[in-house]
Amino acid sequence: MLAEIGFADIRIGPPYDTFGEARGEKKARQFAVYGYSFLARKP
Amino acid sequence: MSAELPVDPVALREEVKSKYRDVARNPNGEHHFHTGRPLARRLGYDQALVDSMPDAAVESFAGVANPFSLRSLDPGERVVDAGSGGGFDCFVAASQVGPQGKVVGVDMLAEMLEKSRASAGLMGLKQVEFREGLLEQIPVQDGWADVVISNGVINLCADKRQTFSELWRILRPGGRLQFADIANGKPVPAGAMRDIDLWTG
Repeated sequence: MLAEIGFADIRIGPPYDTFGEARGEKKARQFAVYGYSFLARKP
Repeated sequence: MSAELPVDPVALREEVKSKYRDVARNPNGEHHFHTGRPLARRLGYDQALVDSMPDAAVESFAGVANPFSLRSLDPGERVVDAGSGGGFDCFVAASQVGPQGKVVGVDMLAEMLEKSRASAGLMGLKQVEFREGLLEQIPVQDGWADVVISNGVINLCADKRQTFSELWRILRPGGRLQFADIANGKPVPAGAMRDIDLWTG
């Protein structure tokens, strides 16, 4: 979607285990949900 | 509701407000996600910087990753934090852009705005300002921002395309979008996509 809107040079960082050991961990594991950092540029 | 959206944006917004109002008022309460200093440590934020902040500036932090991890900000840059919550990422941004820069935090919750403004005042950060608004209608003029940051908020917006288009609008040409958010590695069933409870917890 970022590219469709026009963003360029899109980078995605490694996953963070955001929900590990939190109450929401079970649901997060069910759908393999992790946090990510994104970087993109508006040309 | 748009036929293309899995949930009613207004209903979702009200559910998000309820959830994060509780994070503002009871940051150390029972939430399904981590908050505050332990979360900042988990996400790799500069420990010395976090330690230098008062509790009120950190305790309601509920991000999901680190928008500064792929690139830090430059001194003097103009930054918008889309969904600024208790203001933690704005305060990190302020430390990077310095007194010549400018940071505008935008949030829809009065409780979060009150908290973030008080913390900015406590820390004497004159380059930080907080405005009430929605990510779908950000109160910032076209092309103002050198950088837009956001942390764990875009996933809570029903219409992602409209949200990203709004972030595009406020960025100057050549500007950067540095955001953090969650993504699922396994497909979510259509029924679950329509379950607002799953969007927020």
